[in-house]
Amino acid sequence: MSIQGNIPPKLAQKLLQWFLKDELLEEVTGDLEEKFELDQETYSLSKARRNYWFQVINYIRPFAIKRSKNSITMMKIGIISSFFKVGYRNLLRHKSFSLINVSGLALGLICFLFIFLWVREEMSVDSFHSKSENLYVIYRNQDADGSVQSSFSTPMRWNNGYHIVVDDMEEAIPEVKNKAYYATGYELPWGYPKTFRYGDKKFKLEGSRASEDFFKVFDYQVIAGDQETPLSDVSSMAISRKMAILFFNSPEEAIGQTLNYEDKYDFQVTAVFEDVTDRSSLQFQYLINWESQMKRLEWSSDQVLTTIELQDGADPQIVAAKLDNYLQSRLDENEDFEDHIGLYPFDQKYLHSTFVNGIPADGLISYMKIFSWVGVFILLVASINFMNLTTARSIKRAKEVAMRKVVGSNKLYLIGQFLCESILIAAVAMVLALGAVALLLPIFNSSLNKSISFPMLDYQFWTICVGLIVLVGFVAGSYPALYLSSLRPIQSLKGLIRISKSSIWFRKGLVVFQFSVSIVLLVVTIFITRQTDYLRSKNLGYDRENIISFRVEGTINSSYEVFKNRLLSMPGIAALDRGSEEPQAMGFEVSKPINWQGKDHEVGFKPSSVGYDYLDLMGLEVVEGRGFSKAHPSDSGAFMINEAAVKQMAIDNPVGKWISAWDKRGKIIGVLKDFHSSSLHEPIKPVILDVKEDLYFGVVIVKTKSGQTEEALASLENIYKEMNPNFPLDYKFMDAAYNNMYQTEMVMGKLSNISALLAIVISCLGLFGLAMFTAEQRTKEIGIRKVLGATVNQLIGLFSKDFLLLVMVAFLVALPLSWYLMKQWLESYAYHVDLSWWVFAVAGLASLLVAFGTISFQSVKVALSNPVKSLRAE
Amino acid sequence: MKLGGFEELVLLAIGSLGDDAYGVTIKEILKEKTGKNPSVGALHSALYRLEEKEFVKTREGGATAERGGRRKKYYQLTAYGLKMLQETNELRMSFAQNIPGLSIKTQE
Repeated sequence: MSIQGNIPPKLAQKLLQWFLKDELLEEVTGDLEEKFELDQETYSLSKARRNYWFQVINYIRPFAIKRSKNSITMMKIGIISSFFKVGYRNLLRHKSFSLINVSGLALGLICFLFIFLWVREEMSVDSFHSKSENLYVIYRNQDADGSVQSSFSTPMRWNNGYHIVVDDMEEAIPEVKNKAYYATGYELPWGYPKTFRYGDKKFKLEGSRASEDFFKVFDYQVIAGDQETPLSDVSSMAISRKMAILFFNSPEEAIGQTLNYEDKYDFQVTAVFEDVTDRSSLQFQYLINWESQMKRLEWSSDQVLTTIELQDGADPQIVAAKLDNYLQSRLDENEDFEDHIGLYPFDQKYLHSTFVNGIPADGLISYMKIFSWVGVFILLVASINFMNLTTARSIKRAKEVAMRKVVGSNKLYLIGQFLCESILIAAVAMVLALGAVALLLPIFNSSLNKSISFPMLDYQFWTICVGLIVLVGFVAGSYPALYLSSLRPIQSLKGLIRISKSSIWFRKGLVVFQFSVSIVLLVVTIFITRQTDYLRSKNLGYDRENIISFRVEGTINSSYEVFKNRLLSMPGIAALDRGSEEPQAMGFEVSKPINWQGKDHEVGFKPSSVGYDYLDLMGLEVVEGRGFSKAHPSDSGAFMINEAAVKQMAIDNPVGKWISAWDKRGKIIGVLKDFHSSSLHEPIKPVILDVKEDLYFGVVIVKTKSGQTEEALASLENIYKEMNPNFPLDYKFMDAAYNNMYQTEMVMGKLSNISALLAIVISCLGLFGLAMFTAEQRTKEIGIRKVLGATVNQLIGLFSKDFLLLVMVAFLVALPLSWYLMKQWLESYAYHVDLSWWVFAVAGLASLLVAFGTISFQSVKVALSNPVKSLRAE
Repeated sequence: MKLGGFEELVLLAIGSLGDDAYGVTIKEILKEKTGKNPSVGALHSALYRLEEKEFVKTREGGATAERGGRRKKYYQLTAYGLKMLQETNELRMSFAQNIPGLSIKTQE
């Protein structure tokens, strides 16, 4: 009979209970439910539910609706619908004002929604793991002589091979349920795509190595093969769906196949996982077994990211303390530096990648915060437009308010009416904004390099949209509502309303606020643009135009001389040499292994090995001594350092003194002029160079003849294919690689450009509306002035003066604030543009001009109008 | 006291159902006989009008599981209701007799 669990729609029942007379309730619900059971047996559940809804809605009839309390509810519904009706009519009657109001709000909402979507996207990174709440990563502080180096990595020590010191932590600390290692040293920028080969197919792919329980700890879904521990065997690897399709056409066919890695090892595919989404901070196409990582494969760097799954309810702080204790108990006490570890929530790692005092604290999150504020402020600026215009127009509606009061409307209803109107406007603006966002999202995505989709089915998103409508409606509508509802009916019916001083001041204050926000944003934008330009065009101390680089791999090292000579004879190639690192991204830094004559303190060096032609190729300048040269056979054991090194080593006459790196010792033959070996966030570090032309790793750097890039690339492809057939060529342009380092700045630049533009447009819309209104109000005054002999110029001046004064005050407010903000931001770069005063002046002047332009539309119109017309009617 | 068209139908249905006249059965029989499917709301509004005019009286019935434990409200013709039906019926018949070609079939 009764089918278990299939009950009529809850919401419909609620509705029924809400409007139905109590005495009818039992019978009606009973009948409906019996009917529902019947329908369900004869038709289907969905039809029964549909029918239930239909019946309930059909029951809303006068006889059935609650009387006692209901009369008020009914009246309220009537009043509210009348509010909206009047609001709608008002919207239509004053088209220009409505247009300004709606478009201003819509622009603000567009900006806010974009920022919201972007922030939400970034916030959601790594939160898709089902165990997210229990996942913590180990971070590490290495303290050597008071200088702390912090990173998300795990201490390792040498003892017949490298070992992770806290490897058996599950046994020592019961709160640790599971752990997963992931070798971050294989992520860009340290790592590089590895070559995989299957038959004739060879591709370069980015990936890493991970420990056995990786797929247990994280939610990367295995779609074929071993679900549990695909990475347990030393020669096992897991690959992505994309990689499986690339090599084997389908995930299923990939299982059990063997892939060759870097022309060295064979790995068997034991699992295929779903392609890693953008919402994961770990990005990989393949994962190789951990034992291979520790024992067989080469390392790009020893950075290991350890993620721990805690037992439910375990306190991460206590576990962190236990972990650190455990680490200390297993470390050699005689080490000359301290090593400490802590725990940090895994899903917060992406946003807090910068360490402050040994704790992850800063990073992308600060940009999120800044832009969230920008979004809120722009929305405020847009709401203010509405407030200002509505209040300014209050005189026009004063009679309506008075009439309503006379016929018995109380203050609450009037407030309700104005709030309804503003909510209506907010709703219209929201609909427009949502349409615009949906349309512009592809452009937004491509310029920010994101793949945000419009959250059509996202319940949370729509809730927020509705919430925004109500919030903006309330914020924007509250002041006009309070102000208008408190007008005195007799005075306003007589046409005697005086706008009080305080309300004028309030409105002026709002305009000042709007323009302050705009000017601050303008200043910020100018500085971000200037700094980004500066980063991109800065002379780094070497050439980065027409430079191509690719990695030394396969047979390139063993046949380097032949390769070099053959390539040099090809068209388009100007010069070629090799180095152990790209000059713009020298990440390797050491201090202990570097010793020199008279060393009395540690200096952190970036050591790099180069070929003989490297200095010429890159255009590095020698300021003292000479560069490496084949003419001096002893140069294979010689060193060069840069100016920063000389300064930090605190030695005089460095040329000729001995210096050593690990067990290689030789003379300093020259000093290089400082060049930027990493991001401009950092000051130039000491660099030590030597000559090594037989390293199995590193990069080959090719300088192409200018304007002949295509020929050069063709030459390169040919020779490379012939001489290194097992590896596909993967080259990059150095200027592009350099610009990539400032991806975040570019994104910020774009976002701030848009925000500043929108803020100014919105503010000007408000100003325009206000000017329009004032012009209407002052027609008589201006008519009289004109009759008495005022010139057009005088009138324009008179009209504009008040407004421009406001903009100037806004400038004064914005000045210190923007100065402080920019000072903070620029100081995060070791090399940055000056905090020039003229930028502030330009921003102020620009907003003044734009404001003036906006007002003059109205002021010119007013000043040119015929006084007869304005004075005739009285 | 007037009797509306739909009300008359409902009254007839109640009469013909005897002791088993309540919301759902009335609705079903109306659907069966007329081919139209009145909404519960329309039906109830007619029922209350009939009750107000005292054509029907009600009693509370037992609760069943398919009604979610709610009691039924049974409807029954009152003497006045029966008389009303009779009057309308007689009125119709008096017209029908005089229409040539209109034969009155009784079901038995």
